[in-house]
Amino acid sequence: MISLKNIVKKYDDKEVLKNLSVDFPEGKTTVILGPSGSGKSTLLRSLDLLVRPESGTISFSDLTLDYSEPLTKKKSFDIRKKTSMVFQNWNLFPNLTVLQNITTAPETVLKAPKKATEDQARQLLSQVGLSEYADRYPSQLSGGQQQRISICRALAMNPEYILLDEPTSALDPELETQVLLILEELSKMDQSMIIVTHNMQFARSVADKIVFVENGDILFDGTPDDFFNHPTTRIKDFLSGITFDDSQLKK
Amino acid sequence: MWHIIITSLPEMISAMLQFTIPLAIISFIFGLILAVLTALIKFIKPSENKVIRYPWLVLRAIANFYVWLFRSTPLLVQLFIIFFGLPSAGIQLSPFIAAVIGFSLNTGAYASETIRSALMSVPQDQWDAAFTLNFTTKQTLMKIVLPQAVRIALPPLSNSFIGLVKDTSLASSITILEMFQVSQQITAKNFQPLLMYSLAAFLYAVICSLLTLLQHYLERRTSKYVKGSEA
Repeated sequence: MISLKNIVKKYDDKEVLKNLSVDFPEGKTTVILGPSGSGKSTLLRSLDLLVRPESGTISFSDLTLDYSEPLTKKKSFDIRKKTSMVFQNWNLFPNLTVLQNITTAPETVLKAPKKATEDQARQLLSQVGLSEYADRYPSQLSGGQQQRISICRALAMNPEYILLDEPTSALDPELETQVLLILEELSKMDQSMIIVTHNMQFARSVADKIVFVENGDILFDGTPDDFFNHPTTRIKDFLSGITFDDSQLKK
Repeated sequence: MWHIIITSLPEMISAMLQFTIPLAIISFIFGLILAVLTALIKFIKPSENKVIRYPWLVLRAIANFYVWLFRSTPLLVQLFIIFFGLPSAGIQLSPFIAAVIGFSLNTGAYASETIRSALMSVPQDQWDAAFTLNFTTKQTLMKIVLPQAVRIALPPLSNSFIGLVKDTSLASSITILEMFQVSQQITAKNFQPLLMYSLAAFLYAVICSLLTLLQHYLERRTSKYVKGSEA
């Protein structure tokens, strides 16, 4: 389990995470929802130290970091080893082929033998249905294909948790579905995942746990059933606000 | 006319091979090494670790001073100080060494800004992606950022190299018998300034055209991953 306690993050004087505590269970899919600018991405990035909160702690089963203390290279390495991020704009390395995008980290960071990393990469590519693209460059692929490859890239490091920061927001609906199907499959395989998304249908079908963030605070932390079927007034507003519905036009 | 060209050409080409080209190539190599180091010192943020932080800030100050100094003063004046000035401070250099030092330092200062801008052009997203995979800063630079930055830096670095080839003519002022100096000497004997200086200009253009071809070749090689490139 990942446990965040009393996380405070400020940009200049603005508090974007306000003394926030939350747990992310292992083997489960946690979906983080909330309006834009609520601090969802900042929260997710804190887990991987791409953002450094001013204070608070993060603990894994065997490792705790106090964000307010100076970060050693060893600790940063150990924490990042447990998590891998999938980005909204996938951020593949354009100068590397698809296969190299997946093998470069195991080779460079874990010093794994080339043969083993390539075998693993080819297997991951076949799982996401992109075997024949191994030697292409990312620029020759569609956004959906690139995002599927970036999921492979994250998986190749065998992290405990995959962190996904709006993985389908930059994709059209058809490409989005290709990516969501893969995430659903990973979720079924009990891969620990934390997903920030705006896709409610997907959140509903895949989440084991929902965390609703607004203004740097957690307004809801519980099951999808409670979230969607017994919402509080604010959540009801949020859910109806993002659902397109004719009746709003008439008002 | 052809007679004059044919008799003076061997002498000029020999000066070109002996001085102009070696000066340009050696100085560019040293300049490039200096430029990469300077650019990295200015580009990489100082670590939080105090043991490294302060020496790094000192290095940065030196790098900033160096770039400021060599961009703020004329190359010709720099050459004069190194060759004619330093002996008064007890440092006597051969003309060739003095020229290499001057050209390298000058090219390094300009090229360091080219390289720094190329490094800055690689999006932060690429760093984030590498960091989440647990790359160190050095690994990210070597495997991800520099290969992308090289592509961006190639055209302006080619400018610097071509500029340097032509600037080697300034070495004539510190007693080096490079191509332009030789053309002056021949002119003094045959009184054909138009012909001789045009010939010198032509030979510079030949070298620079070859460099332009080299640039195109390297651009194709480093751009093969970019959409729409033919490779």
